[in-house]
Amino acid sequence: MRNTVSIVLIALTLTGCEKVVNLKYKDNQSRIIIDGNITNETGPYFIKITKSVNLSNTESNPTVDNAVVKISDDAGNSETLAPEGSGIYRTNTLIGVVGRTYTLTVLAENQTYTAQSTMPQQVPFDSIKIEKVVTSSETEYNLVPVYNDPTQKGNNYRFALLVNNKPVNQHFIQNDQLRNGEANSFRLEINGDDLKIKSADSIEITMQCIDQKVAAFYSTLVLMADSGPGGGTTPSNPQSNISNGAMGLFSAHTVQKNIKVVQ
Amino acid sequence: MQKKLGITFLLLFNTMLLMAQSKYTVSGTVKQKSSGETLVGVTASVVENPTVGVITNEYGFFSLSLPQGNYTLRFSYIGYQQQLIPIKLDSNVTLNINMSDETTLKEVVVSSKKDNDNLTKAAMGTEVLDMRTAAKMPVVFGEKDLVKTIQLMPGVKSSGEGSNGFSVRGGATDQNLIILDEAPVYNASHLLGIFSTFNSDAIKDATIIKGNSQAQYGGRLSSVLDVKMKEGNNKDYHVSGGLGLISSRMTIEGPIQKDKSSFIISGRRTYADLLANMSSDFRDVKLYFYDLNAKANVAINSKNKIFFSGYFGKDVLSVSKTFGSNWGNATGTLRWNSVVSSKLFSNTSFIYSNYDFNVGFNTDGNSININSNIKDLNLKQDFTLFLNSQNTVRFGLNTIHHTITPTTTEGTGIVSNKKVRKGLENAVYVNNSWKASDKISMDYGLRFSFFYVLGGNTYNIYTNNQLTQSVKLDEGSIGKAYYNLEPRLSTNFRVSENASIKLGYARNTQNLHLMSNSTGGSPTDQWIGNSYNIKPEIADQVSIGYSRNFNDNAYELNSEVYYKFMQHQIDYRDGTDINTVPDIESELLFGNGRAYGIETIIKKKKGKLTGWIGYTLSKTERQIGGINNGQWYNAKQDRTHDLSVVGIYSLTSRWTLSGIFVYTTGNAVTFPTGRYVMNDMVIYQYGSRNADRMPATHRLDISATYERPAKKRYQSSWSFGLYNVYGRRNPYSITFRENAVNPQKIDAVQTSLFQWIPSVTYNFKF
Repeated sequence: MRNTVSIVLIALTLTGCEKVVNLKYKDNQSRIIIDGNITNETGPYFIKITKSVNLSNTESNPTVDNAVVKISDDAGNSETLAPEGSGIYRTNTLIGVVGRTYTLTVLAENQTYTAQSTMPQQVPFDSIKIEKVVTSSETEYNLVPVYNDPTQKGNNYRFALLVNNKPVNQHFIQNDQLRNGEANSFRLEINGDDLKIKSADSIEITMQCIDQKVAAFYSTLVLMADSGPGGGTTPSNPQSNISNGAMGLFSAHTVQKNIKVVQ
Repeated sequence: MQKKLGITFLLLFNTMLLMAQSKYTVSGTVKQKSSGETLVGVTASVVENPTVGVITNEYGFFSLSLPQGNYTLRFSYIGYQQQLIPIKLDSNVTLNINMSDETTLKEVVVSSKKDNDNLTKAAMGTEVLDMRTAAKMPVVFGEKDLVKTIQLMPGVKSSGEGSNGFSVRGGATDQNLIILDEAPVYNASHLLGIFSTFNSDAIKDATIIKGNSQAQYGGRLSSVLDVKMKEGNNKDYHVSGGLGLISSRMTIEGPIQKDKSSFIISGRRTYADLLANMSSDFRDVKLYFYDLNAKANVAINSKNKIFFSGYFGKDVLSVSKTFGSNWGNATGTLRWNSVVSSKLFSNTSFIYSNYDFNVGFNTDGNSININSNIKDLNLKQDFTLFLNSQNTVRFGLNTIHHTITPTTTEGTGIVSNKKVRKGLENAVYVNNSWKASDKISMDYGLRFSFFYVLGGNTYNIYTNNQLTQSVKLDEGSIGKAYYNLEPRLSTNFRVSENASIKLGYARNTQNLHLMSNSTGGSPTDQWIGNSYNIKPEIADQVSIGYSRNFNDNAYELNSEVYYKFMQHQIDYRDGTDINTVPDIESELLFGNGRAYGIETIIKKKKGKLTGWIGYTLSKTERQIGGINNGQWYNAKQDRTHDLSVVGIYSLTSRWTLSGIFVYTTGNAVTFPTGRYVMNDMVIYQYGSRNADRMPATHRLDISATYERPAKKRYQSSWSFGLYNVYGRRNPYSITFRENAVNPQKIDAVQTSLFQWIPSVTYNFKF
């Protein structure tokens, strides 16, 4: 909606223009970033530990390689992950099971960080529906992930999109707040400024059933990306599920993939 | 509070004592000579005794009580020829005055003018906008616009380029009470904020009061923008209109009964989309608005008059068949003016006001409709008692029944349990304008406002955003009630012939609140009334002012310092989508606000060159638990410097040139400070809220108006304008993205609108 509005507004003036500007950024507090997933697919699973950098810094993010990383579940399993270098830690024995709650403990730079996530029940991802929208000036494609939302309330879904095997750097979240227990017909809200889907494109969507806190994290990112004229929703750091001031996310979720070529 | 009340009543008692002396009364109505339009705010004073004077009310009515004797009454009003009327007062006298526009009559010789209302009136933080000035100002797309002109006053800031939202003394855009012939207007903008809902052809005048309003006004924290429609010419039929590049308008007015009653109908339609359609990218886009103002008045007899005024406006935006939306206001006001006695004037108003917003999406047989609505029924009873030559008392009551439909989404298989909410907003008030001496005048009053949450819905109570209780209110029952006393005071001390000092204090409360995800005023913004969680917003404002006139009132300097503290300010938790969240109240956060600053305006009111320079230095902050770690942070509308320079130059009797220059500090915004990577996607890290600034905005606009020689009754003019003369790319938004070559480098991308917009408008009248 808001995209449409701003497009029309710019069209109206016929003079709207963009330029890259130089801004002076405020100092950044470098924070520990923990990024890890447990899925219902067979392992190994990985936890990545890095640090945030100043916006004006063009180097890659520094990694944390001497941390002690442990994951346990509520079925009594526990293991210490093996460091692989480049900030990556790998599981050996752990199995991702639907309904289990996983606890992550990271000891890094004399600080302890913990996080918990519960893997929700899997909702089958049936297919991808591609809707063709023809206007006089152009043809657009809407991508609708087809699944049946269960009758129980509180389901959250995240979608990772690849177009022609290239990951799309946008966040897509759906939930059952408006249409509980119905077959989904909502499309993914793609920002068309950055991504134009064309005929013969290969579309790959991975659907994740995620828990509430993980969904809240991504919803914040979605709203910020949708920021309207003059700033819109005031941006902020999304609420991480990791304790002690670390940023990032630890998510236990199901995954299921579908691929379709745009006709 | 007790003490303040005591003082107020003491002052009222003082008034009653003064009533005791018996006198004769001269009363009547002041009108514009050529059209018969009543004139509001005209000063009627007694030449023999300069301490005595009153001001005509909203309907041009005045009443003066004086001891028996011979007097000369002086009627003065900015932009009009002063009138001196000798009267012999040995009984009650009715006097109807017709004042001539300075620009239309030149033969009347008048004594020295007294354009010094700023030194004599107690009103603070008040600017009256003359539509004739607005007509000569350059504006984007050549459409004269009173809200755009208001935004050039100190203390009033536009919420963004091209936007009709505005912020007064650090208030939010929803904290302005915008009334059109007493009816509240909930969305004052058209075409996504580029145009205001007010068609200048149908507007008589507009007054903005920046927080120090008299007690008859209430319901919003920051300001009152009181817009009055013309009544129509009661002497002759006239047609006027204008043809512009993207819009046209037409007005018809004339008498119903000559000299007694009249009507006016005015309409507008834009055709911006026709222009946009020329570009192949936007062939399927529809984007336009239209609006209609109508007003009629009928004189029943010399003492009673009935007015009807209505407004209807609609915006339409659609993209082929897949997306469509429309939104608009409708208001209707029925008023009955009655001169109860030569001293008591009564006005009774019934007001209907409706704002709704609809948006629909339609893809592959799946349709979704999003709808929200706010409907008001409003009753006002207002009395003006011209007690004696020193005291004019306003008292009355107001009750508004609100029916608010929150944003609901409906469509194939969507379950929505949002229900209509109702509230009753009431107020009783009394206000006295007291001219204590020729040096001191004072407005003081008290407004008692009370709000009831009405039944027919279930209200949830949240503690720390967790549901703790649900209250089911039956239809017709009354739930939570809120009571507030709002004292108001403003005083003028004339310290010398040419200077005065002013002092003011006011408390304002607000019972309706706007939930918005955008800065500019989007049609999707939704209103919500007080509830069990949402308390009335409260603002206390103290201000001190200094006014000085120079060169026989040719120049006027007004400066005010203000400090405002606001309670129960509302924001929501990060990551809240206000349009889809099941109960928005679960996501709300509450806190305080403070705003302070100094405003200065220097006006040149006479001569070939007129205009003003306005400058504001200010600070506006918020403190809300759960945001920015509970620390004070800059409100987004906080702008340190705000300068506007307006000049209008009469080159010849036919050509008028005008120019506007504005400079404002950029909005307070939050830019990222760092970045990190998750799942191979770059995510930005943020520091303190609103600690950064958009680049400053500045711009020069010019216009030239040529009035063609009149042919009999037919008058016409051409206006040529150029917006943003030096083509400054002012920031509209700044977004961040990864550099195409080096994804680890983050580019800040600034979007600008409106670089050089020329305009041509042809106006006519016959």
